[in-house]
Amino acid sequence: MRKTNLSMGTEEEENEINLTPMLDVVFIMLIFFIVTASFVKEAGLDVNRPDNQQQQEQTESENILIQIRENDEIWLDRRLIDPRALRANIERRHAENPQGSVVVQANAKSSNKMLVLVMDAARLAGVYNISIADPS
Amino acid sequence: MMRRNNQAGSGEQEENEINLTPMLDVVFIMLIFFIVTATFIKEAGIDVDRPEALTRDRMDDAAILVAISPGNEIWIDKKVTKPSDVRTVLEKLHQENPKGSMVIQADESSTHETLVIVMEAAKQAGIPNVAISADE
Repeated sequence: MRKTNLSMGTEEEENEINLTPMLDVVFIMLIFFIVTASFVKEAGLDVNRPDNQQQQEQTESENILIQIRENDEIWLDRRLIDPRALRANIERRHAENPQGSVVVQANAKSSNKMLVLVMDAARLAGVYNISIADPS
Repeated sequence: MMRRNNQAGSGEQEENEINLTPMLDVVFIMLIFFIVTATFIKEAGIDVDRPEALTRDRMDDAAILVAISPGNEIWIDKKVTKPSDVRTVLEKLHQENPKGSMVIQADESSTHETLVIVMEAAKQAGIPNVAISADE
């Protein structure tokens, strides 16, 4: 038994709270949260899928309708477009009609690679409002 | 001030004890950090070959990941899900984290049909924000 400082000679050793069990609990919680922390870095493109009413409204305004055929060909304005030329074509159409959004209508059997390629081209052309129509 | 520090007997040990308070502070701050950042993302369970896109956004609020394998299987929460069950599973996951959005990790060679099934199910489940995952 000995005097502790800071408190004018009262004997405090017996009154100190034992922190060890709390430390155990805190460490276990810490380990749990470290283990469950999943820092998933996901990057992607936003899509909006119009319901039927929206679709009707959108067809009234001039939209840029891009079709993807079953064999992954891209068609715009009844013309077959090379994937590399797609961005320039969308840019031109967008300049003619800045209000219109891009509507992608893909065949059910077309690959998702082409879909993302078309969406990427539209975003590169400055159109961020991209809708996916029902498959043809 | 030299004291004997033996474990047996009534040696005076107080001055030799390590002060745990600063460590406790650090541990608590780490604990709070991991609790706050814990988002509990439901991972899809398979690694897919994502399509490339130059204009992709970071999806920070992604809570549900749905993967579509090259063979058009839908993976949610580390399980293969039948197309007819996707809506039910998504509704359940969406309830757990209503603010989180959904990211679809569609393989390059998966078909558009499956993607539309998943997007339709997400819309019916009330998930507000759906994105398609893309890679460099």
